[in-house]
Amino acid sequence: MADLVASSEDVRIYECAVLYPYALPQKEEAQIVKEIEGYFDEVGAKLIAKDAWGRRGLAYPIKGAKEANVTIYYYEMDPLKLKEVDQSMKISKGILRHLLVKPPKHYQIVKYADAYAQWLTERESIGQKRTREKQEKLQEAVAAKARRKATQSKPVKKAEKSAEAMSGEAISEGIEKLISDDSLL
Amino acid sequence: MPPSKSQQQRRSDPRLKKCPFCTAGGGAKYIDYKDYPTIKPFVDYFGNIMKRYYTGVCLKHQKMLRTAIERARFLGFLAYRK
Repeated sequence: MADLVASSEDVRIYECAVLYPYALPQKEEAQIVKEIEGYFDEVGAKLIAKDAWGRRGLAYPIKGAKEANVTIYYYEMDPLKLKEVDQSMKISKGILRHLLVKPPKHYQIVKYADAYAQWLTERESIGQKRTREKQEKLQEAVAAKARRKATQSKPVKKAEKSAEAMSGEAISEGIEKLISDDSLL
Repeated sequence: MPPSKSQQQRRSDPRLKKCPFCTAGGGAKYIDYKDYPTIKPFVDYFGNIMKRYYTGVCLKHQKMLRTAIERARFLGFLAYRK
Protein backbone atom coordinates (compact mmCIF):
# COMPACT_ATOMS: atom_id res chain seq x y z
CA MET A 1 0.00 0.00 0.00
CA ALA A 2 1.13 3.55 -0.69
CA ASP A 3 2.33 5.87 2.04
CA LEU A 4 -0.08 8.30 3.61
CA VAL A 5 0.63 11.72 2.12
CA ALA A 6 -1.52 14.79 2.62
CA SER A 7 -2.90 16.27 -0.59
CA SER A 8 -1.78 19.84 0.22
CA GLU A 9 0.31 21.71 2.78
CA ASP A 10 -2.69 23.12 4.65
CA VAL A 11 -4.06 19.75 5.69
CA ARG A 12 -2.65 16.82 7.60
CA ILE A 13 -3.64 13.24 8.04
CA TYR A 14 -4.90 12.16 11.44
CA GLU A 15 -5.78 8.81 12.82
CA CYS A 16 -8.77 8.57 15.12
CA ALA A 17 -9.68 5.54 17.20
CA VAL A 18 -13.20 5.60 18.63
CA LEU A 19 -14.77 3.23 21.12
CA TYR A 20 -18.50 3.04 21.68
CA PRO A 21 -20.44 0.45 23.64
CA TYR A 22 -21.31 -2.86 22.10
CA ALA A 23 -24.77 -4.46 22.28
CA LEU A 24 -26.76 -1.35 21.59
CA PRO A 25 -29.98 -1.22 19.61
CA GLN A 26 -29.24 -0.69 15.93
CA LYS A 27 -30.90 2.67 15.96
CA GLU A 28 -28.67 4.05 18.70
CA GLU A 29 -25.57 2.57 17.12
CA ALA A 30 -26.31 4.22 13.80
CA GLN A 31 -26.92 7.45 15.63
CA ILE A 32 -23.53 7.32 17.38
CA VAL A 33 -21.71 6.54 14.14
CA LYS A 34 -23.51 9.41 12.46
CA GLU A 35 -22.56 11.68 15.35
CA ILE A 36 -18.88 10.75 15.14
CA GLU A 37 -18.72 11.28 11.41
CA GLY A 38 -20.69 14.47 11.82
CA TYR A 39 -17.93 16.01 13.96
CA PHE A 40 -15.44 15.51 11.17
CA ASP A 41 -17.81 16.68 8.48
CA GLU A 42 -18.42 19.90 10.39
CA VAL A 43 -14.80 20.96 10.01
CA GLY A 44 -14.59 19.82 6.41
CA ALA A 45 -12.43 16.75 6.94
CA LYS A 46 -11.98 14.20 4.17
CA LEU A 47 -12.27 10.51 4.98
CA ILE A 48 -9.31 8.53 3.64
CA ALA A 49 -9.79 5.12 5.16
CA LYS A 50 -11.92 3.40 7.74
CA ASP A 51 -11.18 0.22 9.65
CA ALA A 52 -14.11 -1.17 11.60
CA TRP A 53 -12.93 -3.75 14.12
CA GLY A 54 -16.36 -4.46 15.49
CA ARG A 55 -16.77 -6.15 18.83
CA ARG A 56 -13.73 -6.11 21.10
CA GLY A 57 -13.45 -7.18 24.72
CA LEU A 58 -12.02 -4.49 27.00
CA ALA A 59 -9.22 -5.11 29.46
CA TYR A 60 -11.10 -3.11 32.09
CA PRO A 61 -14.66 -1.75 32.20
CA ILE A 62 -15.03 1.78 30.79
CA LYS A 63 -18.17 3.57 31.96
CA GLY A 64 -19.62 0.21 32.90
CA ALA A 65 -19.11 -1.31 29.45
CA LYS A 66 -17.06 -4.49 29.22
CA GLU A 67 -17.20 -4.78 25.46
CA ALA A 68 -16.88 -2.10 22.86
CA ASN A 69 -17.16 -1.46 19.17
CA VAL A 70 -13.87 -0.14 17.83
CA THR A 71 -13.50 1.88 14.67
CA ILE A 72 -10.34 3.46 13.29
CA TYR A 73 -10.74 6.45 10.97
CA TYR A 74 -8.12 8.13 8.85
CA TYR A 75 -9.07 11.72 8.13
CA GLU A 76 -7.39 14.50 6.26
CA MET A 77 -8.08 17.86 7.87
CA ASP A 78 -6.90 21.26 8.93
CA PRO A 79 -4.64 21.04 12.03
CA LEU A 80 -6.27 24.17 13.47
CA LYS A 81 -9.66 22.43 13.58
CA LEU A 82 -8.34 19.43 15.44
CA LYS A 83 -9.04 20.89 18.85
CA GLU A 84 -12.69 21.45 17.99
CA VAL A 85 -13.19 17.84 16.99
CA ASP A 86 -11.35 16.60 20.05
CA GLN A 87 -13.43 18.75 22.37
CA SER A 88 -16.76 17.78 20.85
CA MET A 89 -15.85 14.10 21.01
CA LYS A 90 -14.88 14.47 24.63
CA ILE A 91 -18.26 15.98 25.46
CA SER A 92 -20.23 13.43 23.45
CA LYS A 93 -22.11 10.94 25.61
CA GLY A 94 -22.17 7.93 23.32
CA ILE A 95 -18.40 7.63 22.95
CA LEU A 96 -16.49 5.66 25.57
CA ARG A 97 -12.98 6.66 24.50
CA HIS A 98 -11.33 8.32 21.58
CA LEU A 99 -7.74 8.90 20.55
CA LEU A 100 -6.58 11.38 17.93
CA VAL A 101 -3.00 10.89 16.81
CA LYS A 102 -0.85 11.87 13.90
CA PRO A 103 0.54 8.77 12.21
CA PRO A 104 4.33 8.85 11.66
CA LYS A 105 6.03 9.46 8.34
CA HIS A 106 5.73 6.68 5.79
CA TYR A 107 2.96 5.07 7.74
CA GLN A 108 1.02 2.42 5.90
CA ILE A 109 -2.54 1.61 6.80
CA VAL A 110 -2.90 -1.91 8.08
CA LYS A 111 -6.29 -3.48 8.55
CA TYR A 112 -5.89 -4.72 12.08
CA ALA A 113 -9.40 -6.16 12.16
CA ASP A 114 -8.28 -9.02 9.91
CA ALA A 115 -4.84 -9.29 11.48
CA TYR A 116 -6.35 -9.72 14.93
CA ALA A 117 -8.81 -12.38 13.78
CA GLN A 118 -5.97 -14.28 12.14
CA TRP A 119 -3.84 -14.02 15.26
CA LEU A 120 -6.70 -15.33 17.39
CA THR A 121 -6.86 -18.51 15.32
CA GLU A 122 -3.09 -18.90 15.25
CA ARG A 123 -2.72 -18.28 18.95
CA GLU A 124 -4.49 -21.52 19.80
CA SER A 125 -2.01 -23.48 17.77
CA ILE A 126 0.84 -21.63 19.53
CA GLY A 127 -0.64 -22.59 22.91
CA GLN A 128 -0.98 -26.19 21.84
CA LYS A 129 2.62 -26.23 20.67
CA ARG A 130 3.79 -24.85 23.98
CA THR A 131 1.92 -27.46 26.01
CA ARG A 132 3.26 -30.22 23.77
CA GLU A 133 6.82 -28.99 24.23
CA LYS A 134 6.30 -28.82 27.97
CA GLN A 135 5.02 -32.38 28.09
CA GLU A 136 7.94 -33.62 26.02
CA LYS A 137 10.37 -31.90 28.35
CA LEU A 138 8.66 -33.43 31.37
CA GLN A 139 8.77 -36.89 29.85
CA GLU A 140 12.44 -36.51 29.07
CA ALA A 141 13.15 -35.38 32.60
CA VAL A 142 11.26 -38.38 34.01
CA ALA A 143 13.13 -40.74 31.72
CA ALA A 144 16.47 -39.23 32.71
CA LYS A 145 15.58 -39.55 36.37
CA ALA A 146 14.59 -43.19 35.93
CA ARG A 147 17.86 -43.90 34.13
CA ARG A 148 19.87 -42.21 36.86
CA LYS A 149 18.03 -44.20 39.49
CA ALA A 150 18.68 -47.44 37.65
CA THR A 151 22.40 -46.76 37.37
CA GLN A 152 22.60 -45.78 41.01
CA SER A 153 20.63 -48.66 42.45
CA LYS A 154 22.21 -51.46 40.38
CA PRO A 155 25.67 -51.62 42.01
CA VAL A 156 24.12 -51.47 45.47
CA LYS A 157 21.90 -54.45 44.69
CA LYS A 158 24.85 -56.44 43.37
CA ALA A 159 26.81 -55.79 46.51
CA GLU A 160 23.88 -56.85 48.64
CA LYS A 161 23.43 -60.02 46.65
CA SER A 162 27.09 -60.91 46.93
CA ALA A 163 27.04 -60.15 50.62
CA GLU A 164 24.05 -62.42 51.05
CA ALA A 165 25.69 -65.14 49.03
CA MET A 166 28.88 -64.75 51.01
CA SER A 167 27.04 -64.90 54.24
CA GLY A 168 25.12 -67.99 53.10
CA GLU A 169 28.34 -69.76 52.14
CA ALA A 170 30.04 -68.69 55.31
CA ILE A 171 27.16 -69.97 57.40
CA SER A 172 27.09 -73.32 55.64
CA GLU A 173 30.87 -73.62 55.98
CA GLY A 174 30.69 -72.73 59.65
CA ILE A 175 27.97 -75.28 60.23
CA GLU A 176 29.97 -77.95 58.45
CA LYS A 177 33.00 -77.03 60.49
CA LEU A 178 30.99 -77.22 63.67
CA ILE A 179 29.55 -80.57 62.68
CA SER A 180 32.91 -82.00 61.69
CA ASP A 181 34.58 -80.61 64.80
CA ASP A 182 35.14 -83.59 67.03
CA SER A 183 36.39 -81.62 69.97
CA LEU A 184 32.91 -80.34 70.69
CA LEU A 185 31.48 -83.75 71.26
CA MET B 1 23.99 -36.70 44.17
CA PRO B 2 23.73 -32.96 43.38
CA PRO B 3 23.64 -32.17 39.65
CA SER B 4 26.91 -30.87 38.26
CA LYS B 5 27.19 -27.28 37.07
CA SER B 6 26.84 -28.20 33.40
CA GLN B 7 23.55 -29.93 34.11
CA GLN B 8 22.07 -26.92 35.94
CA GLN B 9 20.13 -24.37 33.91
CA ARG B 10 22.10 -21.18 33.51
CA ARG B 11 20.68 -17.75 32.78
CA SER B 12 21.75 -16.43 29.40
CA ASP B 13 24.02 -13.41 29.32
CA PRO B 14 21.80 -10.29 29.02
CA ARG B 15 24.41 -8.63 26.84
CA LEU B 16 23.99 -11.29 24.19
CA LYS B 17 20.29 -10.56 23.64
CA LYS B 18 19.30 -8.88 20.39
CA CYS B 19 16.53 -6.33 20.04
CA PRO B 20 13.55 -8.16 18.51
CA PHE B 21 12.40 -5.00 16.73
CA CYS B 22 15.81 -4.24 15.20
CA THR B 23 16.32 -7.78 13.92
CA ALA B 24 12.87 -8.19 12.36
CA GLY B 25 12.75 -6.80 8.82
CA GLY B 26 15.57 -4.26 9.04
CA GLY B 27 14.29 -2.41 12.09
CA ALA B 28 10.79 -1.30 12.96
CA LYS B 29 10.20 2.42 12.36
CA TYR B 30 7.04 2.59 14.41
CA ILE B 31 5.34 0.33 16.91
CA ASP B 32 1.59 0.51 16.51
CA TYR B 33 -0.71 0.68 19.52
CA LYS B 34 -3.33 -1.24 17.54
CA ASP B 35 -1.06 -4.20 16.96
CA TYR B 36 -1.97 -6.26 20.00
CA PRO B 37 -0.07 -9.49 19.15
CA THR B 38 3.30 -7.70 18.90
CA ILE B 39 2.88 -5.57 22.01
CA LYS B 40 1.55 -8.29 24.24
CA PRO B 41 4.79 -10.21 24.92
CA PHE B 42 6.36 -7.04 26.38
CA VAL B 43 3.77 -6.74 29.12
CA ASP B 44 3.97 -9.07 32.11
CA TYR B 45 1.18 -10.83 33.98
CA PHE B 46 0.49 -7.81 36.17
CA GLY B 47 0.25 -5.45 33.21
CA ASN B 48 3.62 -3.81 33.77
CA ILE B 49 5.94 -3.03 30.88
CA MET B 50 8.84 -5.47 30.94
CA LYS B 51 12.32 -4.14 31.69
CA ARG B 52 14.74 -3.79 28.84
CA TYR B 53 17.15 -5.97 30.77
CA TYR B 54 14.86 -8.98 30.42
CA THR B 55 13.56 -8.47 26.89
CA GLY B 56 16.70 -7.13 25.20
CA VAL B 57 14.85 -4.31 23.42
CA CYS B 58 17.05 -1.38 22.45
CA LEU B 59 16.40 2.06 23.95
CA LYS B 60 14.96 3.52 20.75
CA HIS B 61 12.38 0.78 20.43
CA GLN B 62 11.65 0.67 24.14
CA LYS B 63 10.54 4.31 23.94
CA MET B 64 8.29 3.54 20.97
CA LEU B 65 6.95 0.52 22.78
CA ARG B 66 6.14 2.59 25.84
CA THR B 67 3.99 5.05 23.87
CA ALA B 68 2.28 2.19 22.08
CA ILE B 69 1.48 0.39 25.33
CA GLU B 70 0.26 3.57 27.00
CA ARG B 71 -2.06 4.30 24.11
CA ALA B 72 -3.33 0.73 24.07
CA ARG B 73 -3.99 0.93 27.81
CA PHE B 74 -5.97 4.13 27.40
CA LEU B 75 -8.19 2.52 24.79
CA GLY B 76 -8.75 -0.57 26.91
CA PHE B 77 -6.82 -3.00 24.70
CA LEU B 78 -4.37 -3.64 27.53
CA ALA B 79 -4.90 -3.58 31.28
CA TYR B 80 -3.28 -0.99 33.52
CA ARG B 81 -3.12 -3.39 36.43
CA LYS B 82 -4.24 -6.95 36.95
